[in-house]
Amino acid sequence: MSQPIDGDGDGDVARSRSCGITRREFVKIGGATVSGTIACSLLPAIAASPPAAKGEGYPVATVAQLSAVKVNEPIAFTYPDESSPAVLVRLHESAIGGVGPGASIVAYSILCTHKGCPVAFRPERKLFICPCHWSSFDPAKAGEMVIGQGSQALPRIVLRVQGEAVQAIGVEGLIYGREVNIL
Amino acid sequence: MARVPIPPRSAQRFNTVCQFCIVGCGYRVYKWPLARSGGPAPEDNALGLDLRKQQPAMGTWISPNMHSVVTDKDGSRHHIAIIPDNTCHVNEGLSSVRGAGLAQTLYAPDRATRVRLGDPLIDQGAGQVKATWEQAVDLGSRVVKAVIDRWGPDAVGMKFFDHGGGGGGFENNWAVGRFFFSGIGTRSASIHNRPAYNSEVHAAADAGVAALTNSYLDAELADTILVVGANPYETQTNYFLAHMVPNLQGATLETKRATFAGESVEAGRMIVVDPRRTMTVSTAEAAGGPDRVLHLQIEPGSDIALLNAIARIVLQRRWHDVGFLRERVEWQTFEAYQRSSLDVEAPFEEFEAQAARLTGLAVAQIRKAAEWIAAPKADGSRRRTLLHYEKGLIWGLKNYENVAALVDLGLLTGNVGKPGTGISRLGGHQEGYVRPPYPGGRPALNIDEAIRRGEIKCFWVGGCNPVLTTLRAEAFEGALRERGAPVREALARTAGKPIGERVAAIVEAMKNGGMFLAVQDIYPTATTVHAHLVLPAAQWGEVNLTSINGERRLRLYAKFMDPPGVALADWAIIARFARRIRQLYLDDDNPLMANRFLDFDWRTEEDVFIHARYQFKGDGSDGMEGYAGVTYDMLRKLGNNGIQTPVRIVRGTPVGTVRIHEDGRFGTPSGKARFIPAPRPWPGYAPKVARQRKNFRFWVNNGRSNQIWQTSYHHRYIPFYQGRFPIPYLEMHADDARGLGIASGDVVEVRNDMGSVRAMAYVTDAVKKGHTFMLFGQPRGAAGNLVSDHVDPSTTIPYYKGVWADVKRIGPMTEELRTVSLAPMNVAT
Repeated sequence: MSQPIDGDGDGDVARSRSCGITRREFVKIGGATVSGTIACSLLPAIAASPPAAKGEGYPVATVAQLSAVKVNEPIAFTYPDESSPAVLVRLHESAIGGVGPGASIVAYSILCTHKGCPVAFRPERKLFICPCHWSSFDPAKAGEMVIGQGSQALPRIVLRVQGEAVQAIGVEGLIYGREVNIL
Repeated sequence: MARVPIPPRSAQRFNTVCQFCIVGCGYRVYKWPLARSGGPAPEDNALGLDLRKQQPAMGTWISPNMHSVVTDKDGSRHHIAIIPDNTCHVNEGLSSVRGAGLAQTLYAPDRATRVRLGDPLIDQGAGQVKATWEQAVDLGSRVVKAVIDRWGPDAVGMKFFDHGGGGGGFENNWAVGRFFFSGIGTRSASIHNRPAYNSEVHAAADAGVAALTNSYLDAELADTILVVGANPYETQTNYFLAHMVPNLQGATLETKRATFAGESVEAGRMIVVDPRRTMTVSTAEAAGGPDRVLHLQIEPGSDIALLNAIARIVLQRRWHDVGFLRERVEWQTFEAYQRSSLDVEAPFEEFEAQAARLTGLAVAQIRKAAEWIAAPKADGSRRRTLLHYEKGLIWGLKNYENVAALVDLGLLTGNVGKPGTGISRLGGHQEGYVRPPYPGGRPALNIDEAIRRGEIKCFWVGGCNPVLTTLRAEAFEGALRERGAPVREALARTAGKPIGERVAAIVEAMKNGGMFLAVQDIYPTATTVHAHLVLPAAQWGEVNLTSINGERRLRLYAKFMDPPGVALADWAIIARFARRIRQLYLDDDNPLMANRFLDFDWRTEEDVFIHARYQFKGDGSDGMEGYAGVTYDMLRKLGNNGIQTPVRIVRGTPVGTVRIHEDGRFGTPSGKARFIPAPRPWPGYAPKVARQRKNFRFWVNNGRSNQIWQTSYHHRYIPFYQGRFPIPYLEMHADDARGLGIASGDVVEVRNDMGSVRAMAYVTDAVKKGHTFMLFGQPRGAAGNLVSDHVDPSTTIPYYKGVWADVKRIGPMTEELRTVSLAPMNVAT
């Protein structure tokens, strides 16, 4: 049960705060835009195998049905656990690590590798952009930071296609705010 | 599975400041033995965090690039984590992309940084061979002495860093200055990035205005921030993000109200003068809204015309600060400025129209800039404008007049020495200058020319890489190669012979045009390959050092690990040479020369720091670096917030300076500021530049970027940075690229009458048609190859930005570039 994210949607401060940003930081870092990105508290939990032990294997989680994945219509989910928001997107082009038609489906942790603000997919730019300090990441190039203040590429959720199901099976790169991806 | 080790509670802790840009963000260093590990529970780790949980946004996190493993001299291995300090007023817990990778810059025998120089090297004719410090110092000292004795001190040339931060600091700068100026006494000196020993802001100094007048707080208080020829999002990142952006967002209104009781306040505005639409422009617009940002996308070399037109409008509208001008400025210079720079005899509309034509802007845009800078606020009070400038202006058409035009505009509008104002460089590297006076005059000798003419017999390069960064760089490298060859032959011929014979052979080679090259650095570089003597230096983190940032915040950058091999701090290398040269002169029964090399017996960094400190009086008369009364112990206690220089001693206590010129005094004999009138409102292109501009199609603007620091001396060895730009990029407009059959990612050749360079095409709307922008000074493509040897005759500062060249496609994207994003680098939404 996933829902698309509108990168330009209207949010509010309360939603932002649920992503862990305090009121002061909200005012200071992002102005009106930070609230428009994503509502962490509203992200659906997805069907996943039982959580693995700390630091051990990744769960296998079905993110979406292949037929429901449309170009430039991002799908929000959490992986490898509920406190790790991620977005799956089908690009116009093939992507490094992509699966599905033309290797065009990829997914990323959306916590910016700078200070953990939720990045948003901008279809017109073909980029994930952070509303706090404007770092941008290229989903076709393994999440490479195009420009900005991130400390590494955006962690890539490793996907596979099993029949009709697009499944998350691992994470390449360390998710912001963690010492290890499986807490 | 990716994971970073957790620092245990027992981890050693150090304060440091980022080694890279002028902003000098505070960082915390944790060091702990390889075998030990902290636990995720808050009581089990040094961070005191519950790492069993996801950390919140804006929280504390050790990213993988913030961690590495190092090996100390005793063979012990340690984890190092370097994370931004959230108690530091400079960065407020933010890292930049550069600071986030500090841990990756550390020497490690099992990572790419293993190539660091760890031993002195002597060229024995068939290549550089490891030597002991004794051998290296003896050879170098004898060569220097022989050159002084035969040709005089000016035949010893030097090009050294004069900065703070990585590779610099007060300690190293003092040692270098003492050695070359008080010791050798040479005038053949030059500073890391230019061919002479000069200030980049002589005009500001002549006006009596310091280079760094304001505090970062002033960017939170200003009504308008003017940024000329700079790109702070990318190259002064956390000054921009932590101080300018909140002002644009209106997040500092309460501070403004509290500071300026009863004065109209609103969210800040920003004017960016830059031929490119950079990240600074788009992020400022995202922060404050497009109607609070004015981007003046000028034609190259037209800054002076723009600034003088703004000033003329200010004067015409009577927005100048009459009170300030009467009390704080030498009035006759104001009159001269009006007559010459502003040509007040010329009709106003004509003056405006001329500026519009030269800059490529609309008159309305120039008027708007004048309004934002100087129109009275809603309640009639003066607008507070913070004027910032950097290399776009400094390395522009005419260095002296460029800087003068900006400083003059600041004086005209009274925007200095008050909260929310300032006339300051944005800065590149950090500062930390303290040296005895340079013995040469002004304009300073052009050392590149002196090398080509054969006047320099021994050239000593320290902590810089002129083969990549100087102007007319191919010719410079050619001179090193040709003049180095006879010395190399002499060394080969005399290998294994007594030192006296070897030095005599080198001197003979010098008589035949040879030049001995010593290079002191932390890595092998494009310049060390030509060296006869290579001296391995310690870097940031391997020594204690002190520096100031862009708001003159003086801090102690702690040593937390050992240097590789037998590498030494720059000051310690210099001291060894000084002591050896002194002994050689004593042996020669020449006490006069020997005594020039006295007092190099420092035992610690702090000895050097304190020795240099006696240059300062602490009575209010010191320059902006003054640190009278400051000790390492004091700096340890002050941590990453340090103290802002210049320091005055008030009743025995050192007191810092938030804002320079707040006392109304300027650095001139009269204590009043001076306008620096230019002969005319716009000087035009020098003939050499005009010729290049006429003969080649594209303007090749060049400069720094967000992810790559300077010549990439560290970043070329770190995958996160190197992978982004395997070769330097050349930004091109889509129409220009299409016309030449060039696509983003193609390899192109850029060529003109000075030389050629290759780059990766990056098609973008950041540059106008006919303009390009290239990353400067890169190991796999030096834009300096294209820069003409024209310099501003009044300051010997090159017009590095004044390059015109042709561009052609070489071939398609290589496999290496397959993983490189070619997405726009200037979008924020």
